Amino acid sequence: MKIQRINRGTLFGIFALFLVMSLSTSALCIYTVDTHLSNEYRTNSGGIAKTIADASVDILLNRDLSTLQSFIDQFIDIQGVSYIYITDEHGGFVAHTFVPGIPPEIIKGARPDNASLDRNIAGMGDFFEVSRPILAGLAGSVHVGMDTGLIALKIQQAVGQQVYLISCIFLAGVVLATWLMYRSGRHLDSLLSYAQSLAMSTAMEPKVKLVADRNDEYGTLAHLFDYFSSKQEGALQEQEEPGADAHS
Amino acid sequence: MPPHRLNRRSLVEKSLKGAAALPFWGLGNRLCATDGVTDSEFILGVSAAFRGPSRSLGIELYRGSQAYFRHVNQSGGINGRTVRLQCYDDGYQPVPSVLNTLKLIAEDDVFALFGYVGTPTVTRVLPLLKKFQDRNAYIFFPFTGAQPQRQPPYGDFAFNLRASYAQETAGLVHNFVRVGRSRVAVFYQADAYGRSGWAGVRDALAEHDKTIVGEATYKRGTRFTDSMRRQVEILKETNPDSVICTGSYAACAAFIRDSIDFGLEVPIANLSFVGSENLLKLLVDSTDNPERYTRLLVNSQVVPSYEDLSIPVIPEYRSRMTTVNTDLPSDLLDEPYTPLLYSFVSLEGYLNAKLMTEILTRMGDQPARERLEGAVFSVKDFDLGINELVSFSPRRRQGLQRIYYTMVDDRKFVTLRDWSERFAK
Repeated sequence: MKIQRINRGTLFGIFALFLVMSLSTSALCIYTVDTHLSNEYRTNSGGIAKTIADASVDILLNRDLSTLQSFIDQFIDIQGVSYIYITDEHGGFVAHTFVPGIPPEIIKGARPDNASLDRNIAGMGDFFEVSRPILAGLAGSVHVGMDTGLIALKIQQAVGQQVYLISCIFLAGVVLATWLMYRSGRHLDSLLSYAQSLAMSTAMEPKVKLVADRNDEYGTLAHLFDYFSSKQEGALQEQEEPGADAHS
Repeated sequence: MPPHRLNRRSLVEKSLKGAAALPFWGLGNRLCATDGVTDSEFILGVSAAFRGPSRSLGIELYRGSQAYFRHVNQSGGINGRTVRLQCYDDGYQPVPSVLNTLKLIAEDDVFALFGYVGTPTVTRVLPLLKKFQDRNAYIFFPFTGAQPQRQPPYGDFAFNLRASYAQETAGLVHNFVRVGRSRVAVFYQADAYGRSGWAGVRDALAEHDKTIVGEATYKRGTRFTDSMRRQVEILKETNPDSVICTGSYAACAAFIRDSIDFGLEVPIANLSFVGSENLLKLLVDSTDNPERYTRLLVNSQVVPSYEDLSIPVIPEYRSRMTTVNTDLPSDLLDEPYTPLLYSFVSLEGYLNAKLMTEILTRMGDQPARERLEGAVFSVKDFDLGINELVSFSPRRRQGLQRIYYTMVDDRKFVTLRDWSERFAK
């Protein structure tokens, strides 16, 4: 399928437009998903930490640590929750979900009672950690670590889906544009042949003649070519006729 | 004691059951079953690990119980009633355990829950018992030494025979400290069971003004083939002179193997729940030199050694384990199982069944769940045959207190008599 030179610019324009669209919507998507998920994570982890902190008061004061462990183990199944640990009022660990052990970053890291911080733990990844005090910090504090790697994964999935959709639309657009250009190019070729035949006064193929029957710009141009051609012929005849009169 | 309330719902249920049973009166005792007891049998509900990496614990506990119950059944039953165990597998996982319990209480309407296995499972089941307190739902002799079923708010719904993990860990710590090993590290299962053992060690060390020097964990369901190298490295960095494990046999055997292989050669102690024989079997079968892996092993037990024939119940237990059919229903097994001839776990199951039989006997000809608690509290100075008398009361819901220590000698667990000789630093 041949694309006329005058259409190549249009096609390039479509490519450029789609590229700008893809980049801008992907960037918007990354920003939106990242912002929303991060906010959701922060809200959820804060909620989970508060729930555990509120419920832990009774357990820490009246029950045993196996009950507390059993309680926090139920939260670790929630998507995004990577670890939970509870410290006593002196900062000692009384329950946690780490395997094979408490990471050195957690042991050494500062643990404010009511704060959020971003953590990188070697061999585990990046986390957003929320802390909440138990009984205003008198009984310790709860710390919930959310896996920010999961946010990155969600962003990848969302952007991937979007790029896939835009690519499909882009491909369909290219096919459609190419087909439309090919169609309009065919009429242009016929008009060109029509004009050449008129100019060279050669016999015209039947399908070339059809362009003059069209009701669009191609038909109008064909009629104009006819008009100019017949005017040209008329002018040539007028130039030849004075000589003929002189002989007569 | 939880109040027995005959509320409107239970009244309607009982009336409907009674009405439904009337047309069939006399056709068969099973059709007249109410509250898990008929004219011919008691039905006890069991949810335990019969499949998965910890299945040996559930199976051996069941076998020990059946060795006694089937003997009782063959001898005419309890006041004419046999004992039947309605069993479900929970794979040592909390959620299936809760669902099984719901089925046992609400659908099967068992007389009592009996012979459950594990802390993470039992801990999650306890709230159900409170929920069904109007049905007098009790759990008898769970195979766990954790605290939740020994203290409020759920302690009133459980009766324990074995000593607690707190008692086991305290005994291990005091003995280690006594022989000069006070740098105690802990290897434990990352769940309620592991935390129970960890807390016991921490509290016992605090009595000596010491703290746990290092800790490492593993996930429940870990197999012997899994590597424990990382856990060993974590503990090695803390330079312990003894390690107390709170885990199941597959993971603890893997830890012991890797400890020796990677240079952590210190005494390693396990709690009774570990399943000593299976732990030893894994270590012995996996190497040409098992003594290298077992010479520094010490396991605490809540029942005496089944090798000690001077203890009255041991010959009886050994005889019944070999003469009574203790096979598990085949539908509960997912793959063939080779039973142990004798084990600490099956001995515990045997003692559980013996005490349960005594309690059911004390209920007389008209057993009813609402009188179950009273029957338990009537047990005073009862002799199970292990040289320790058993008593229950509203303030004493654990029958046995004694801890036994065992070590490996000639590829068998035998009573440890002298800590200094074996483990002195």
